[in-house]
Amino acid sequence: MSLRQLAEADLGAVLEDGATGFGWPITVTSPAEMSALLTGFSDDISQIIDPDTGQIVSGRLASIALRISSLTAAGFELPQGIADAAQKPWLVTFDDINGNSFTFKVMQSNPDRALGIVTCILELYRP
Amino acid sequence: MTIAALIDKQDTFEIVRDQIGAILALEVASQMALATAAVRDPDDWKLRVFSERSNPWEQFLNDQSDGSPIVNVWVDNSNFDPKVSTVVERQKSETVYNVDCYGYGQSADNPAGGHTPGDREAAFEAHRALRLVRNILMAAEYTYLGLRGVVFRRWTQAITVFQPQQDASQVQQIVGARLVFRVEFNEFSPQIPLETLELLSADVNRTEDGQLIAEADYDYTI
Repeated sequence: MSLRQLAEADLGAVLEDGATGFGWPITVTSPAEMSALLTGFSDDISQIIDPDTGQIVSGRLASIALRISSLTAAGFELPQGIADAAQKPWLVTFDDINGNSFTFKVMQSNPDRALGIVTCILELYRP
Repeated sequence: MTIAALIDKQDTFEIVRDQIGAILALEVASQMALATAAVRDPDDWKLRVFSERSNPWEQFLNDQSDGSPIVNVWVDNSNFDPKVSTVVERQKSETVYNVDCYGYGQSADNPAGGHTPGDREAAFEAHRALRLVRNILMAAEYTYLGLRGVVFRRWTQAITVFQPQQDASQVQQIVGARLVFRVEFNEFSPQIPLETLELLSADVNRTEDGQLIAEADYDYTI
């Protein structure tokens, strides 16, 4: 197994360990309204300084990171932002640490096809 | 020599700033009452009016229970015209007020199919607020902003739509629209109390019967 394949396999432990790691249950719903419960990383934070750019950021930023092979195994394609108002968007639902559930629309999808992980930038959604 | 009197007044630019906010708040309440009387949804005419706030749209970020547009009135700059002013007492000011309108949108499911995009809704909300603000401030009832004798002219100088300074990828969609509103008025400054140097009085009497036809007093002051 190459190092790259090993890194993808490690995602199962790094990204999807909900027992002893940071894995978190996330419900993904496709535009065709097919839903599945997956495990990945979820973020929902308000921050003052963007650590990437050092710029001041006000507002609430939410994102998820999922293993692409798990999405595929669940029958999904890669999530993407849907601009067409005539279509349903990709939706994700997850709880915060205090058990409050939030539903988000996928605003932007950033897949890393080298390592097999997709990061989705989210926007609040009223189901 | 120092100024003898305590400067205990509002400048005209402050009075006009408060008046713009008061007009907007009053008229929004009135429009909502008119909408209710017309069996329309009054929330379509609802605006939340603020004055001199740096980031009033912060309200949208953590509490989405009230998504009605936010309006913030703030003073931008003043220019003084020396050609129509005096160096002593009165200076004509052209002051620019920014009336910023913030619209909030949230993506939502459309039961009939598809969804309502939050970015478009935010823009539409900002445009709706802008429409109300412009119509109120430029209404004939407010030609002089209710301050006739103080305000010479009010004018919508420009309208621009902008994105508030926030991360582009955050969960809420907010769009801003700025109405640049120029108002012309006089500013006054403290004066030295005048002293009468000489009083000149003139009476005009009719010769035939001595009746007083006119009289005038002229104070010559420093």
